[in-house]
Amino acid sequence: MAGKSGREISATPKGGITKILSWEGALILVFIAVIILGKSISPNYTLNNVLREMQKYLPEIFMMFGMGFILVLGDIDISVGSIVCLCATLTCIAANAGVPFILAALLCILIGTCCGMLNGFLATKFTELPTMIITLGTQIIFRGIAEMSLGSGGSVSYKNSKDIAVLAKKIGPFPISFFLVIILGVVMITVLSRTTFGRKLYAIGSNKTASYYAGIKVQRTRFLCYTILGTLAGLCALFLLSALYGANTTTGQGFEMEVIAMCVFGGIATTGGKGNLIGGLIAAFIIVCLRIALGQINMNTQLILVIIGAMLIVSVLIPQIKNALMPKKQKV
Amino acid sequence: MAEDIILELQGITKIFPGVRALNNVHFQLRRGEVHALMGENGAGKSTFIKVITGVHAPEEGHIYFNGEEVHFKSTLDASALGIAAVYQHPTSYDDLTVTENIFIGHEIIKNGIIQWRQMNKEAEALLARLHANFKVTEEMGALSVAQQQMVEIAKALSTNAKIIILDEPTAALTANESEELYQIVDQLKAEGVSIIFISHRMEDMYRLAQRVTVFRDSQYIGTYDVDQITEAELIKAMVGREISDMFPKPEVTPGKEIFRLENLSRTGYFKDICMNVRAGEIVGLTGLVGAGRTEVMEAACGITKANSGKVFLDGKELRIKQPVDAMKAGLILLPEDRRTQGLIQTWGLGRNVTLPIQEELAHRGFNDEKEERQLAKKYLEDVDTKAVSIFDLASTLSGGNQQKVVVAKALAQKSMKVVIMDEPTKGVDVGAKAEIYSIMGDLALQGYGIVLISSEMPETLGMCDRIYVMCKGRITGCLDRSEATQEKILELAMEQSQKEV
Repeated sequence: MAGKSGREISATPKGGITKILSWEGALILVFIAVIILGKSISPNYTLNNVLREMQKYLPEIFMMFGMGFILVLGDIDISVGSIVCLCATLTCIAANAGVPFILAALLCILIGTCCGMLNGFLATKFTELPTMIITLGTQIIFRGIAEMSLGSGGSVSYKNSKDIAVLAKKIGPFPISFFLVIILGVVMITVLSRTTFGRKLYAIGSNKTASYYAGIKVQRTRFLCYTILGTLAGLCALFLLSALYGANTTTGQGFEMEVIAMCVFGGIATTGGKGNLIGGLIAAFIIVCLRIALGQINMNTQLILVIIGAMLIVSVLIPQIKNALMPKKQKV
Repeated sequence: MAEDIILELQGITKIFPGVRALNNVHFQLRRGEVHALMGENGAGKSTFIKVITGVHAPEEGHIYFNGEEVHFKSTLDASALGIAAVYQHPTSYDDLTVTENIFIGHEIIKNGIIQWRQMNKEAEALLARLHANFKVTEEMGALSVAQQQMVEIAKALSTNAKIIILDEPTAALTANESEELYQIVDQLKAEGVSIIFISHRMEDMYRLAQRVTVFRDSQYIGTYDVDQITEAELIKAMVGREISDMFPKPEVTPGKEIFRLENLSRTGYFKDICMNVRAGEIVGLTGLVGAGRTEVMEAACGITKANSGKVFLDGKELRIKQPVDAMKAGLILLPEDRRTQGLIQTWGLGRNVTLPIQEELAHRGFNDEKEERQLAKKYLEDVDTKAVSIFDLASTLSGGNQQKVVVAKALAQKSMKVVIMDEPTKGVDVGAKAEIYSIMGDLALQGYGIVLISSEMPETLGMCDRIYVMCKGRITGCLDRSEATQEKILELAMEQSQKEV
C-alpha cells in the first residue's frame, strides 16, 4: 500500500488531561465555594442537615444522567417531569388498591420505561419533527393522564407509608438515594466515556448523517436513550414518593428544566456531541447544595431560582467570553 | 499604457498569526478579460480573493484600480468600485424570492417604501440578459445550484460590477449547466466585464480564460497565456513537481465476479439496474448529475431501500436492511459529500477512521483506545495523509486529505471486498487527485473491486476498465476501456434527455 512519502503521523495524545479537567476543575472550585458560602451564612449547614435536606433533590439527579445521554445525542426530552408525576400517581393508586409494595415499585419503574419508549418511538418514527415539540406533546399527555387519574381532589397519598419509607432509610448519615446516585453515576459516566455505546452517542450528536453512513444504527440508539431516561424517571418517581408519601398535580413540575440545567451547567451542550456526565454530576451537587444553603437562611424560593438561572446563563457564556479574549489562530 | 489594465496588485503580502498566507504575489487583470487563477488548495487563492474584495487588508503591497492606487477598508469600498464575488456555495437566502436575493442590501427604496414592482422589473431584465428561464418570484431554495449561481451573477450585475470573481463555479454543475455558464461568461466578457475565474478543472480554464496566473504555497509562480502553455507545464507550475502519470491505471487481469446488481429498482429514482464488478477491476458509473448514479449505490449499500432487485457479493445474495449489513458483508461506500456524510468534522482523524470498527476492537463493549490509535495511525499513513497527528480535527484538512481519511476509514474495515467511490476527487486539487488515483490503482492491484462514480470525463476514461453510463435512472450502455471515448459516453448519457428536451 502507498505511504510513499514515509510521512509519520503522531498517535500520542497531547496532554489532553489539562483540557479535560479545565471545566470540571472549575466546577469543583465552584462546589467548594458553595460549601464555604453555606457554612458562613448558615449555622445549620452541617453534613447531616445537608444530607437530610438533599434527599428530596437526589432523585432528580438520577434523571440528569439519562438527560445527559439525550443531550449528547443532540436531542432533548422535556416530558420527564410529567413522567415522574404519572408514575408517582399511578403507583400510589395501585398501592392503595392493595398491590404489594415490591410490585408497585416495579410498576412505577415500568410505567416510566413505557413512557420513555413512547417518546423514543415518536422521536424515531417522525425524525423530521424536532424532539422538543414531540416531548412537549407527551409532556402534556402524560400530565393529563395523571390528572385524570387523580380525579377531582387533585392529589393522592400513599396510605401504607411504612413500606415506602424503606427507600428513605439511611446508612450512616447517607440516604439510600445518595448511594444510588453514586452507583448510577459510576455506571453512566463509564458507559458514556469508555464504551462503544457512548462513542456512538457522541458520533450521532456530532453528525447524524455521517454516523448513519458509518453503519451506526442511529434510530435504535436514540430509542434506547429515551427508554433509559424513562426508566430513570420512574426510579426518580419511586424515591420521590418515599420522601413525599403521595402525589398531586404539581408533582415533578419543572423537573425537566432543572435536570437540563444541571447538564448544561456541567458542560453538556444542547447542540449535541459535547460534554460529559462528570461535569453534570458536579454541577448537580453545586445546584442542590446552593439551594439548601439559601433555603436555610430562608431566602425566598423565587429569588433562589433567579440566582440559579443567572448562574446557568453565565456558565454557558464563559466559553464565548474565553473565545473573545483569546481568539484562536485564524484559519487561512 | 498599451494594455488596458483595470486591476493590478503588486507585492501583496498577507500575514495571519503564525502563517504567511500570501507572500509577495502579483496579479494583473485586463479589461474584458477572463483570467484564471489556479493553484492547489492552500496555495492562497482564497486569501487573495479576500484581499481583492476588501475582506482582508494586506500587510504589504499596492492595489491599483484603473491605474490609481486604492486602499480597501472594507468590502463596501471594493463593491463601490464594482468588484463582486460569486462563491462556490451560493450565499443566498433560500426562503426569499429571486428578486429579494438580487437586491438584498441595496433595495430600491422611495420615501421609505420598497419599490417591489421596479425591483421585479429590473431583476427580470437582469435574468433576461443572462438568458435565465426561471421567474423572479420563485423562491431561491426551489432553484438548482446552477440557477442559484445565475442569481448570484445577476446580483453582482445589479451593483454594476466591473470585475466579477467566480470561485469554483462549475464544481457543482453538470456538463450542460457548465456549458450554459461558459456562455454567460463569454457574454459578460463581450460586454466588457472582467472576470477572475478560480477552478480546479482544466477544461474550464481552456474553454474560458485567455490568461492564467498560478499560485503555489502562498507564492506567485507566474502568469501565462493559456494558448501557450501545455497542460503538463501548468500542472508542474501548480504542484511544483512533474506528475509523470496522472492516471496510474495498473494492468490487472480481472478475477472472478465479486459484485453484481440484478434488476435493482427504486421507484422515482432508478429502474432495472444490472451491473457487475470483478476482482481487481475498476468499473466506472457515469452519467449526468441527477441520472441516479449515487442513488443506485446508496440503495445497494442499504443507505436507502430498493423496491426490488438483488445485490450479490461473492456470489451470495445480500440481505441488507441498513448500512451496517452491507459494511459487514464487505461492501463499502465512500459517500459523495465528505463534509456531511463521510466524516465527523469536529472529531479527530483517528476517531473518524475507527468509528465503523470500534465494536470489533472493543472488549465487552469497552473501547480499546490504544489499539484504535495504532490502527488509525497505520491506515492514515498508508494513504499518506498530510496531517501532524491523528488528533488533528477533520475540519482542518483540505478536501484531498479529507478524502484520504475517508479511504483510510474504508481500509480499516477488514471485511472490505468492494469499494464504491462517489466523486472521490470533487473539489480536490491536482496533486491530491493524482495521489487518490494512485491509491485506487493500488487497491485494484490488491484485488478489491472498485466502483467509481464520477462526472469527470478524464478520470473516468483514465482509470476505468469498463464504464457503465446512466441516463434518467437507467443504464444506457456499458463501454469497454478500449472503445470508450468522451463522445460515446456523452451520447449514452444524453440519449433520452435529448429526446425529451
